[in-house]
Amino acid sequence: MSTKEQRERIELLQGTLDLLILRTLLLGPAHGHAIAKAIEFKSDEVLQVEQGSLYPALHRLIKRGWISVQAGTSENNRRAKFYRLTAKGRRQLAVETSKWQKLAGAIARILLPVEQEGKS
Amino acid sequence: MSLSQRLFSRRKRMMEDLDQDIRDHLERETEDNIERGMSPEEAHYAALRKFGNVTRVKEETWEVWSFVWLEQLWQDVRFGLRMLAKNPGFTVVAVLTLALGIGVNSTIYSVVSTMLLRKPPVHDPDRLVMLLSRNVGAVGAGDYASRSPVSPPDFLDWRAQATAYSGIAAASSFENDSHVTLSGGSEPERVPSSEVSPNYFQVLGVSPLVGRGFLPGEDQPGHDRVALLRADLWNRRFGADPHVLGRMVRVNGDAYTIIGVMPDTLRRLWMFPEQLWIPLAFTPAQLSPAARAQRSLSVFGRLKPAISEAQARSELETIARRITATNPGTNKDWGTNVLTVQQYAIQESNASTALAFLMATVGLVLLIACANLANLLLARNANRQREFAVRSALGAGGFRLARQLLSECLLLTLLGGGLGLLFAWGGLHLLRGAFNWNEWSVLIAEQLSIDHNVLLFTLAVSAGTALILGLAPALQITRRDPNAGLKDSSRSTTAGREHHRLQNLLVTTQLALSLILLVGAGLFVENFIEEMQARPGMNPHHVLTASVALADTAYQDASRQTVFFQNVLRRLSGDPAVQSAAITTDLPYTFPAYARIAVEGRPAPKTEKQADSAYFAVSPGYFEAAQIPLREGREFALADNAGSPPVTIVNEAFAQKFFPKENPLGRHIRITHSDESTGGTDVAIKWSEIIGVIGNVDEIVGQPAPRPQVFEPFLQRPDASMTFLVRTRIEPGAFAASLRQAVWSVDKDQPVSNIRTMDRVLHDSSQGDDIMAELMSAFAGIALVMAAVGIYGLIAYLVGRRTHEVGVRMALGACRREVLWLVLLGSMRRVLVGVGFGFVVSLLLPRLVTASFEGVHMSHARWILAGTPLAVLLVALIACYIPARRASMVDPMAALRFE
Repeated sequence: MSTKEQRERIELLQGTLDLLILRTLLLGPAHGHAIAKAIEFKSDEVLQVEQGSLYPALHRLIKRGWISVQAGTSENNRRAKFYRLTAKGRRQLAVETSKWQKLAGAIARILLPVEQEGKS
Repeated sequence: MSLSQRLFSRRKRMMEDLDQDIRDHLERETEDNIERGMSPEEAHYAALRKFGNVTRVKEETWEVWSFVWLEQLWQDVRFGLRMLAKNPGFTVVAVLTLALGIGVNSTIYSVVSTMLLRKPPVHDPDRLVMLLSRNVGAVGAGDYASRSPVSPPDFLDWRAQATAYSGIAAASSFENDSHVTLSGGSEPERVPSSEVSPNYFQVLGVSPLVGRGFLPGEDQPGHDRVALLRADLWNRRFGADPHVLGRMVRVNGDAYTIIGVMPDTLRRLWMFPEQLWIPLAFTPAQLSPAARAQRSLSVFGRLKPAISEAQARSELETIARRITATNPGTNKDWGTNVLTVQQYAIQESNASTALAFLMATVGLVLLIACANLANLLLARNANRQREFAVRSALGAGGFRLARQLLSECLLLTLLGGGLGLLFAWGGLHLLRGAFNWNEWSVLIAEQLSIDHNVLLFTLAVSAGTALILGLAPALQITRRDPNAGLKDSSRSTTAGREHHRLQNLLVTTQLALSLILLVGAGLFVENFIEEMQARPGMNPHHVLTASVALADTAYQDASRQTVFFQNVLRRLSGDPAVQSAAITTDLPYTFPAYARIAVEGRPAPKTEKQADSAYFAVSPGYFEAAQIPLREGREFALADNAGSPPVTIVNEAFAQKFFPKENPLGRHIRITHSDESTGGTDVAIKWSEIIGVIGNVDEIVGQPAPRPQVFEPFLQRPDASMTFLVRTRIEPGAFAASLRQAVWSVDKDQPVSNIRTMDRVLHDSSQGDDIMAELMSAFAGIALVMAAVGIYGLIAYLVGRRTHEVGVRMALGACRREVLWLVLLGSMRRVLVGVGFGFVVSLLLPRLVTASFEGVHMSHARWILAGTPLAVLLVALIACYIPARRASMVDPMAALRFE
């Protein structure tokens, strides 16, 4: 694994994976693999989630009662476990999203002038 | 189903789901990959790669559902045990050090708390005080003067005027060690007893088990022939018969009615030895104004709820001043003192200084243990820095590492504490058997138990040491870049500066501490051993002793006393098992009576001290029976009786004191007993001629110098209370029954008490000092071994650390001898600083010991002061030399590779 590759891949900040999972599940129940795919796809493959790390996160969310799990059948009629956002999870998503936006905005405001200075 | 079971089963279900989920996930990913055009095998591996470490995912998910800390703790404990098992040397030394420190401290502090800190066995002990006389005028009399008994008229005045108490009661002072003869029914015996005010037990707050206590008015003549028994006497003598009430007993020959039985809880405090109580009735003489000078009562008061000790004290002082104003002759220079019973018991028991010293010693043992442990851990942690760096590089968090160390230390502490508890238990068991020099020590032994507070305290101290020192490196590591750690510890030639300084300090401190403790212990042990070996001046083996006190009114006449004792002696001499038999007022190694001596033709001495001498009345043949050597003149003979001129025998110390450069034989002296008038001109006391000089015999074990003693023939100075000294041809203990029979064949109502072998008398006389000496030697031994192990371990470790450096030096061409010297000198410099500091401090010890303990003589102090540092230096030198030599023997190449 080259150093360059390491630099371009963005590691997820602590707790952001939870937020991404919740956001993905807002669109409807999904199984684990689909969640991973969705996160990768939607972030234009910038966010490389090590797929395995999804599962501890999912279980953490189950334990907190933000998502629930139920057996179901997938698109090609295979048995799978579906994760679904709970009402509590929905509320938590709203809170976390607004927190994230505030944080991102604040960091962006600090970083922006540097970029502009660099350009000029 | 319990909560934990539910949680566990849920976790199990979730983990099974997870397995399924992961399998599904990987299948889907593989399928996706195949769709993208990979071969099935390639697709499978790509999926696995993308998924990451399956085991770790499972572990992390498992953690979500587990009580993480608990399970990791268990993991830590198992790992810790493995680490300890891998370093058996370290583990054994650390655990033993801890165990000894904890065990020794728990044992000794348990003894101290039993002897001194237990509350008196009475109701609300903090409110029970003793009202005492305080001799303001006494100079040099020590503390005792402020804890004097009270005269009957003073007691009655105090009781009438004081308002701070809900009750005040008096008891005939236990200082007189009063015994009565209890007879009638079974064998007669001497029983410790006390005369008490009728309200005595109300004031103490102790109620009778059976029957009733004394009633008001039972101290009046005619009503006072009633007695209370203590439960154990009731058990022993009356078989705990509930119908004992109303029965008659003879107390010193007079008939008393038993009215009640008191519980035996009181005996737990040495101040309350009585097994029998009778009312305290005052004779008119005891109430006369002159009787204010006869201070003989113990006065107890129970404070009223709102009254403080200080208030009670000032009130009593005011009352005493009023009494002094009207009775200046008897009460001038006499004040008062109020102490709680517990304070009094602590101050009055002379054990407190010795115990304080013992406590200080074991405290030092604990300190050495902690220093040892600190050094061990420091050395070990330094060794493990690379291990921690590796683990940290492999991804162990700082917190996790710290916790690992913590659990290792905890394990050590637990192991040490557990073993320490066993040591304490064993130590107490041994002590229980050793506490046998008198009745109180036996009682203390019965009450000895491990003091939990102390155990916890010592455990906390040791654990604290272990934790602080065990954690330090972990904290250091967490702040450190693991990379640097790996590099540093693998290639450093010398220890870091900071580490160096800390270890320097520890070596110095430990050496100094060890040395001071060893010197202190050495001084004590040497002193005690010398005492134990002190020549007794007589032959104590094969001698049985027993006391008989003729308390009966029938024996008030002196001639009846002599006849009784002579009859018994005659019977004893006829026994083939007896080599010789004699009687004396006091045995050697028991405290004798004192008398004032006047020498004919000389002015009376100015002070009591100049005139005093121990005094004995003995039967003819006493010196022969005791095997006390006669130096000059002759022994007493049967002809030296009431009808012949008075004669006396003195010991060498007496001759030296009163006739320093003269021959005492043929000189005349006058012996005035302490219970006789001190007028000195009393014509009734005749001059007696010195007819013999005998060798010196000690009065107590460990007496610094022989004291003057004077002997009179029993036939010229009869006494009601005598002690038999029988030299037997058989085992002396086996003769006890025959001795008793010999007395009872003359008078079956006379009790024979205190039957002991002379060896036993000697042992009892040491009052536990011999046990203390043994304890001190044991501690000194423990300290010596611990200090040696600690010093050796630390220095050997530090020198061993320089193996690499030695290799470099040798590779660069240094010769072996030079390197050896270099290493030795470097280490010994530190050793010398520590030893030097310890030596300077220990120079103060002999003075400290002599100041704290009466009768301690430091005759060999200089040998110990010189020898101990040398011994410590020797251990240190060996500890330096062996590893230094080993380092210098190593092939330079191997040393360079050595880590």
